[in-house]
Amino acid sequence: MDKVKNQKIQKQVERWDLFARLTPTLFLATSLILVVFDVVPLEYAFYIGLTGFAITAVSWWWWAIFTIRYLVTILSRASSNLTDVNTEIKIVRKELEDLKDEQ
Amino acid sequence: MNNKTYQLVKAATNILSGVSMATLIVLGVSFVGFNNAFVFNNSGIAVTNNPVTGDQINFILEGSRRHECTLTRVHSDAYDDATGERFEFDFARKIYIRSNDYLGSDTGIVDHQWAMPVPDGMGPGVYRVTLYSEFDCVYLLFKKTKVQMFDNIALIIE
Repeated sequence: MDKVKNQKIQKQVERWDLFARLTPTLFLATSLILVVFDVVPLEYAFYIGLTGFAITAVSWWWWAIFTIRYLVTILSRASSNLTDVNTEIKIVRKELEDLKDEQ
Repeated sequence: MNNKTYQLVKAATNILSGVSMATLIVLGVSFVGFNNAFVFNNSGIAVTNNPVTGDQINFILEGSRRHECTLTRVHSDAYDDATGERFEFDFARKIYIRSNDYLGSDTGIVDHQWAMPVPDGMGPGVYRVTLYSEFDCVYLLFKKTKVQMFDNIALIIE
């Protein structure tokens, strides 16, 4: 279950990375062409850009919050499991030492 | 695509994306600044030959200007303080008194003086003048029609 979710998050990170790489350049080039050739008024391009920026910022914010929450849960579970393993190792070591003493 | 090419493409798109983002932010901020800017800043219009005794009213417009603007339309009225009667100024009969640098296109400092004849039927009294002007302003890629109004310009006719 965790593995599937981890892979999903990794894919989402890759998609965000690609989006961050391509979108600004594509938007700048497209809007410049459309504005220069008078297809779209500059104000429209500005408001479309502003809306896109706002939607991206809000989406990324919520994605980051949920991802961080998931990662913190995973981290705390891993930490708790490690503590259990440590305690068990201590018990086994003590039992081994007791066995040695008996022999 | 081998690993080296992939790294190169990744680095190039990183730089390109950063430059595009910076350009978008600079253009966006400039656009908002241009959109919200007034045609004239710290400006005012006054009558310089108050009280007017002859048949000519002299005006002065002082202030500063940030963007390149061309006057496309102007309209001015005087309202009698006592009766509220309206008199329209005839801009077709406008005379430039001093305008070495028309609307401060070179320096950004506006010091514009002009004169107009007293409108027909305007008797002695105190008047409030309003002036409505429309400009086409240009800055970088941006172009916008802007309106600037001046009111409460005191005019005394004797």
